[in-house]
Amino acid sequence: MLDLLLAGFGNVLSPQIFILITLGVAVGIVFGAVPGLTAVMAIALCLPMTYTLGPAAGISLLIALFVGATSGGLISAILLKIPGTPSSIATTFDGAPMMEKGEGAKALGVGIVFSFIGTILSIGALMFIAPSLARVALSFGPHEYFAIAIFSLTLIATLSSGSMIKGIFAGVAGFAVSTVGIAPVDAITRFTFGRVEINAGFSILTVLVGMFAVAEVIRVAESAHRKGGAPVAPPLLVRIKGFGFSMAEFLGQIPNAIRSSLIGISIGILPGIGAGTSNIISYIAAKKRSKTPEKFGKGTIEGVVASESANNAGIGGAMIPLLTLGIPGDAVTAILLGGLMIHGIQPGPMLFITQGPLVYTIFAALVVAAIMMLILEFVGLRLFIKLLAIPKHILLPIILVLCAVGAFGLASRIFDVWTILAFGILGYAFAKAGMPTAPFIIGFILGPMAETNFRRGLQLSSGDFTGFLTNPIAGTFLALAALSILWQVYAALRPHKIATLPNAQD
Amino acid sequence: MSRNSELIIGLAMLGAGLGYLYLTMQLPRRGTVDATFFPYALGSAMAALGLLQILFTLRRSGFLPLAPSERLQPRQLLTVAATLGLVAGFIAALRPLGFPVAAALFLFAQFWLLTPSTQRPRPILYAVLAILSAVVIFVTFRYGFRLMLPGGPLTRYLP
Repeated sequence: MLDLLLAGFGNVLSPQIFILITLGVAVGIVFGAVPGLTAVMAIALCLPMTYTLGPAAGISLLIALFVGATSGGLISAILLKIPGTPSSIATTFDGAPMMEKGEGAKALGVGIVFSFIGTILSIGALMFIAPSLARVALSFGPHEYFAIAIFSLTLIATLSSGSMIKGIFAGVAGFAVSTVGIAPVDAITRFTFGRVEINAGFSILTVLVGMFAVAEVIRVAESAHRKGGAPVAPPLLVRIKGFGFSMAEFLGQIPNAIRSSLIGISIGILPGIGAGTSNIISYIAAKKRSKTPEKFGKGTIEGVVASESANNAGIGGAMIPLLTLGIPGDAVTAILLGGLMIHGIQPGPMLFITQGPLVYTIFAALVVAAIMMLILEFVGLRLFIKLLAIPKHILLPIILVLCAVGAFGLASRIFDVWTILAFGILGYAFAKAGMPTAPFIIGFILGPMAETNFRRGLQLSSGDFTGFLTNPIAGTFLALAALSILWQVYAALRPHKIATLPNAQD
Repeated sequence: MSRNSELIIGLAMLGAGLGYLYLTMQLPRRGTVDATFFPYALGSAMAALGLLQILFTLRRSGFLPLAPSERLQPRQLLTVAATLGLVAGFIAALRPLGFPVAAALFLFAQFWLLTPSTQRPRPILYAVLAILSAVVIFVTFRYGFRLMLPGGPLTRYLP
């Protein structure tokens, strides 16, 4: 194994592949950082460029794009409060408040370093425990997936800052929006009003871009001509030393990073759930395990560490079923599978035997891409901060045009660009109503997974609902979901009790 | 937020739930667990949450009146409406005018519109930035990444 790994490093450190990896990571970071452009788009647009390259060079370039784009989302999430990709939604929760407190450089530094750690841990998992992990993941059926989706949906209330009713409503509304299009199992078209463009439902990209980026532009428009309000101060920036955080802070976050990476790897392995979900789940887990949960949402590095470790750990996680079983878990790995097949590589259990050197070249490319990501983002840290010197009334319209390009690029349809405007208006309405956006996104992502697997599960158990409870894994997750709801109801009622006791702290 | 605002939000939530339930009722039924099962559950949940929001607002006391800075001023509303109009205009113009022209016009107008009232608009700088940004984005995506952004009337002159 060591010989193969060394040979792999020898391959990727050749000048041609090394330059391709560097370029791939740089382009990937830009695609990740610009809202509306995603890892899927970066890989899809660059795939034709790999036709003329050899298998090792071509796959290395695609992997570099994947690594760069997954991490790049943190830049706009922290600096602009707009997640560059769905993988960075939770990064905005604490990254943006840190930015407002003048700790933007620290938030970026933390995000960059823990993205790297998450990636490396997931590559370790990919290299050493890939086949056994993939077998476990493959044994999951509709019952298990439904239970996992329901358990994750019950965590929505945790993200409901302020009114829990509004938070839960946002989650339910997100789920409701996800029902637009052809229904699973019986293929009835729902809520499409005869528009064929939405037969497949709304794309997560248009929902995300609308709810965050377009809504932000509308908010800036609202405050541009405010009279009598306090002038908005530009974010304070302290001098950046190293990555902007201390060794004590780094060491203190190691348990959080390991836990979040494990969540990222586990969710990454499961087909259909990707970094878009794992970053939020690990954020919730970090908040629940934290000694200072009250600091979450107000600008704590714990939140950034949880989100960024988890989303990058999804890289190795997603590669596990792809390489060991030939099963792509999401759109990115589906395009990567296409890239592998274009170069005559058939992923699956035999890949490690027949193409051992190439597999280890892929592992080495992942490691080198992660290191290049760390270096390029460290060098770029000061440059990213300078982005803030560009006035918002210049920067945001340009970002909006890029969002329109991203939406158009989904299927070369103007219709998708209209949908970002529609979701932008919805996002703005949510902000005005004090309704959190994150539960809406979670409901939108997990809704179809819950519905599809519920219907399939019922079919498998001949319409018997108890099938969901008698399956050990599904039963456990559903019991956890019930406990989670009970705990949240108890937690919601508890402060009122304390508040009614006079001098409770005495 | 004021009591009236919270009540309006509750009514909107209730309205959204009832509207969704009404649309669900138009769907064909094929048994107990069919394509309408989840929509009925979701619509009912939305309506129930809307009712809860209204009830809690009516029972709650201690609402504070909105501070003057929190109230939307007519000029702010106008800017928001103009921004939405510009974005809609940009999207509508993408096919007939092509991406470069539509984007340049949108960017120029939007830069101007979003300029804070404390600063003076700089039309020449905005025009240069708008044209430059539109051209760079168009060329990068159309020729760098082969994404066929609409060229509009310029298509016949493009390589």
